[in-house]
Amino acid sequence: MSLSSEEAQASLSQVEEASRRSSQLYFYHRSSPHLIMWGIIWIIGYGGTGLFPHYGNQLWLGLIVIGCTGGVLLSRCHKTDGVVGGPYAWRMGALWAVILFFVFATYAIMQPHFARQFCAYPALITGCVYMAIGLWRGLRYVISGAVVVALTLVGFYYIQPIFFWFAVVGGGAMILTGLWFRTV
Amino acid sequence: MEQPDSVIHQPVRLKIMAALKALPHGEAIEFVRLKAIVGATEGNLGAHITTLEDAGYVAVQKDFLGKRPRTRVSMTPQGRRAFDAYVAYLQEIIGMATPS
Repeated sequence: MSLSSEEAQASLSQVEEASRRSSQLYFYHRSSPHLIMWGIIWIIGYGGTGLFPHYGNQLWLGLIVIGCTGGVLLSRCHKTDGVVGGPYAWRMGALWAVILFFVFATYAIMQPHFARQFCAYPALITGCVYMAIGLWRGLRYVISGAVVVALTLVGFYYIQPIFFWFAVVGGGAMILTGLWFRTV
Repeated sequence: MEQPDSVIHQPVRLKIMAALKALPHGEAIEFVRLKAIVGATEGNLGAHITTLEDAGYVAVQKDFLGKRPRTRVSMTPQGRRAFDAYVAYLQEIIGMATPS
């Protein structure tokens, strides 16, 4: 049994394609619970801020702490070779911490003038981060990011009351994305 | 040049091994996901996994997730070595055919 160089090249291409697809699906699957958790946090955060605007800052502060801690805990629930954590143990929580740090640092140096700016900015950043991740890790992230960005801009320009739009549509889109990532 | 590993040489089994090798060390993949990656039928995939398991290249774990039965497949250290050797064999063939 011997192979020609063309057959060997074809086999290596098959290996590459199967590897790419496998690592893509693995990443989707591991991201899924984090997206669902943050979708719920968005619903509570934006919905709560819409209902009780004076407590918005405190509510978000508490939710961000819960989200970042939850991200680390979700990753630690996963076991690889009997070892708690796996390769993404801290990165998923840290990713959100970086995004939120960027958002609040921007608010500090360029204060938003309107509630709709306060609402839309984190969603816009989140959507763009998804699209950027998708450039390396798969089309589903690009599509999800594009949907979040599009819904954010629609909400910013055309929808009132803005908080409830972001609660239902933003949070809902993240939960649906998380569920989509669980499918094969 | 030495002969290729006949267990891995089969195209579906090669894809299975490539899909498993792409996972972080010690991770297992669910049967349904592996089926989507490889593009084989359930019976066909099951037969190839059994061949790989008999050769000691993969380990199969069966359990329940809630009430749903779940089959997961992972690569053994022996399988990892065999797969690396097979890929090196393919690269060697291409290298020999490419003029330096």
